[in-house]
Amino acid sequence: MLVLTRKVGERIRIGDDVSVQVLEVRGGQVRLGFAAPTEVRIFREEILRTVEGQNAQARLPDPESLSDAAAAWEVFVDGRRS
Amino acid sequence: MEDAAEDLTAVVAARDDQDTIDVVSERFGTFAVSADSVLHFPQGPIGFPADRRFVILEHRPGSPFKWLLSLDDPELGFAIANPAELVSGYEPPLALAAQVLEVEEPDIALFVIVTIPSDPRAMTVNLMAPVVVDMRTRRARQLIVEGAKLDPRYPVLELSAEQETER
Repeated sequence: MLVLTRKVGERIRIGDDVSVQVLEVRGGQVRLGFAAPTEVRIFREEILRTVEGQNAQARLPDPESLSDAAAAWEVFVDGRRS
Repeated sequence: MEDAAEDLTAVVAARDDQDTIDVVSERFGTFAVSADSVLHFPQGPIGFPADRRFVILEHRPGSPFKWLLSLDDPELGFAIANPAELVSGYEPPLALAAQVLEVEEPDIALFVIVTIPSDPRAMTVNLMAPVVVDMRTRRARQLIVEGAKLDPRYPVLELSAEQETER
């Protein structure tokens, strides 16, 4: 792992078009600013892991599961109407 | 947005049509779709970087649910839905989607991915990471909406007291 030391306000460039700036350091927390093209996805790692995990769970095992969900939805909607 | 979704739905094409793509899936069956109905995810859905081409198929007329099927791995499919029909009070992140896709808001279609557990009544939708599509170009992307504390496992059906206890 590359390790660099930066002061508040200083930047790091990654490749040709990604820039990371240290905005603030306070009480064990660092605030960073990012400038990058929109196709570069920048997320907190734990949020990315959450979405990856949810997507993996959402992968459909078979067509019947969607039919079952649609049926459950219809029962629910009917119950709400009556 | 409902109309938008209809426009995106792939037409299951007759086999002798020109410019169709044959899909052969053990799980989801064998069918053909018109080539111009294909959605392109330049980076794939999150966690599925190799799956770039998808189609949306109708589940049943009038149903809020649709299929999102990968053409790159025909065994990969998700259930998606129009959140306006499933989640009352949900405000779709259209401004963020417009910024990320670099399009105007009216050109965006937005869907949520549905997770269906063995008890379908416990199904949830991922409000944190909707799928957005530029309808003009059919370019698609899964967004992550950070900071708004949106639930990645939002229960669609109100849970019974018993299910609540299990949570």
